[in-house]
Amino acid sequence: MTISSRAAEQTPITRPDDDRAQEGGAARRRSFRRPSGYAWILPALVFSVGLLYYSVGYTGYISTLIWNGTAPDVTHVGLANYAKAFSDPVFWLTLQHTAISFVVTFSISTVLGFVFAALLHSRPWFGGLYKVALFVPVVLAPAIMAPVFRQIFANDGQFNWLLTHVGLGSLAQPWLAQSGTALAVILAITIWGGTGVSFILYFAAMGQLDPELLEAAELDGAGNIRRLASIIWPNVRGTTLALATLSAIGALKTFDIPYLVTVGGPNFATEFLGTLIYRTSIPLGAVGYGAALSILLLVIALAMAIVLNAGRNKRGARTDA
Amino acid sequence: MFGIRSGRRSAKSLAAALIVAGLAAGALAGCSSSGGSNSTDSATKGSITWWGWTPEIGVGKQYIAAFNKVYPNIKVTYKQVATASYDAAIRPALASSVGPDVFNIAPGGGIGSIAAYQGSALDLTPVVTKALGSGWKSKVAAIGPAGLTTSSGKLAALAVGSTFAGSVWINPDMFSKYGLTPPKTFGDWVKVCSAFASHGVTCFEQGAGDPGFNMDLLHSIADSIKPGVWSKAAAGTVKWTDPTLVQAMTVFKSMFSNGIIQKGAVGVQQYPDVNNDFLAGKTAMVMMGTWYMQYSTLAGATAAVSAAGVANAKPFPMVSIPFPDVTGAGNPAPLFGDADYGLAVNTKSKHPKAAETFVTWLGTNTAAQQVVANSLNDISALSSVSPKWSDVTLVDPSTQQSTLQSLIGRASKITEPRLGDLSTALGQAMGVATASVAAGNATPVQALTTLQSSAKG
Repeated sequence: MTISSRAAEQTPITRPDDDRAQEGGAARRRSFRRPSGYAWILPALVFSVGLLYYSVGYTGYISTLIWNGTAPDVTHVGLANYAKAFSDPVFWLTLQHTAISFVVTFSISTVLGFVFAALLHSRPWFGGLYKVALFVPVVLAPAIMAPVFRQIFANDGQFNWLLTHVGLGSLAQPWLAQSGTALAVILAITIWGGTGVSFILYFAAMGQLDPELLEAAELDGAGNIRRLASIIWPNVRGTTLALATLSAIGALKTFDIPYLVTVGGPNFATEFLGTLIYRTSIPLGAVGYGAALSILLLVIALAMAIVLNAGRNKRGARTDA
Repeated sequence: MFGIRSGRRSAKSLAAALIVAGLAAGALAGCSSSGGSNSTDSATKGSITWWGWTPEIGVGKQYIAAFNKVYPNIKVTYKQVATASYDAAIRPALASSVGPDVFNIAPGGGIGSIAAYQGSALDLTPVVTKALGSGWKSKVAAIGPAGLTTSSGKLAALAVGSTFAGSVWINPDMFSKYGLTPPKTFGDWVKVCSAFASHGVTCFEQGAGDPGFNMDLLHSIADSIKPGVWSKAAAGTVKWTDPTLVQAMTVFKSMFSNGIIQKGAVGVQQYPDVNNDFLAGKTAMVMMGTWYMQYSTLAGATAAVSAAGVANAKPFPMVSIPFPDVTGAGNPAPLFGDADYGLAVNTKSKHPKAAETFVTWLGTNTAAQQVVANSLNDISALSSVSPKWSDVTLVDPSTQQSTLQSLIGRASKITEPRLGDLSTALGQAMGVATASVAAGNATPVQALTTLQSSAKG
């Protein structure tokens, strides 16, 4: 409710005179018919409807076409692009990669972020330096780091050099050139770039914990591991859920790292929904099919948001009870 | 009272909001308004924009400077878009009313594909006929209009020049350093690469993660076995499972297992990885086309070596060698090519006449084509024009000029397309096939069978 409409509603109560009361009633009716506050949100409404919902709707429309994005002639194909997606093995492969990416990056980043946050709460020497070192990958643009990782994981790159020089030369291989290893490299880069966020959120969450709780546990004889597992971990569950949501969104939006490091290859081994949509819509010029994939991505994202929210609400309700 | 004042204020604010909303809606609607010629359009005056992935910005400026000596009142602004981003940039630009007046398109289904963008291009047949006469096709390299004319006969773009693939470029300094000679056969190639490997040097580097360059290599091998089979397969008149193509794919595979192509090639892109390594002197041989001629010039080589990340860039006199006879069939080393790019005039251009003047001048004027030829980026579109060597400063004329002349001479006779007959989807299927074989995930027969089914589908 806006301030003006709220004031108009209050008028008849504070001024009991009948005429005034009627005037107040008329004002209320006027403001109801012509709600002044809504006028202020109209520009935002136009922009959001125009730029977001209209775009979603238009993408939905395009998804029913065979169109290259520029040609004046289009062919209406109904839901054929969706049927094509469901029968496209690469589409299912991207979903598989997305699921793997979510599980692996969320699990490892969460564990690493939690452990680093706990370690740095123990106030080690050069703690500030460690914090910076952990967070720097978050602020480095993937476009800058992609050539570095391409070099590191090249056949003659530094990673193989390192393996060779520590006696593990038998493990050296062309990491980015093999379907079996390229995805692992992409996930490793994603974890490297995302652990800083997990760390900083856990570090902040741990700072909010009641010290008396930890002291009580210590007095009861709980060791470091026990306190981490039984006191700290349950109390930062909200952060973990937030990270799960962020990781899920991140997995669905994955584009920059696989595109810049492996271009989705070799042979779709690192293809994600984002890279597939781009490759389909831009280089292949199948804008209709690309739009159908975008709508499917939207549906998956909405479904995931609903599931995660439902899970959070259920836990919240259980906590309240 | 409060309510009345509130009502007045809301009326005012509603009006203000409607104005803002109207402006916003107008801005959004403006995005979809159509362009088109205006009443002040002139063939000799105006300001036009040109978008392309090639030529290099410096070469583009050379063209424009030469153009402005003849047409000083047409201002041309050239924007070079990175090759990988060109399609992403040009597609929405052409769909809008504020796209470039002139834009690059290319034959086939790759970057700037004629199939994708010909709908936004004016038919240039009338202007080229006016410039060169009704027999204009006899005055330009046939490969130009062949790849830039639509199935309905529209000349969607005018070729500025052509490029040809099928050649191997070498760093002679590296061969001299290790006392090696360029390979002429498959056996030579294996020995040379073994020798380079013994010195810890990469012999022949291939960006096998890049479908286009895998196709070039496979095309060369197929042509060395039986010329023309590849083109027939691309045109759909021969199956991809033809014995010649199976043999070619088998040789392609063996180049990975025999140490000719470097390990991990499938994870490498021809640009920028292979290009940078060659220019930085890290690899002795690469498979590149005639577009590499520009790095034979002192200025071109210095800039390219510097751009590859080499401090105090020292150019080397790279030369091209014929593709080795990898099967012993004895056929001449093949070249195949297309118009490097053609200049198209946007149907929504507000200055189409000025744009046509620029495009026609660059594609048909002798002086303009001389600039194109001398830049060595392309082989000129006009058959009568060739580089004026006295105006070209090579790194080492004694070793480079004769090989360049030979390459240009061979290329000028070629009619076999490089990408012209390949659709985008077929190109992708080809990429999957070559990468599968290179990575050892499929046998040549399996990969070509899958490719054939993709081509049919």
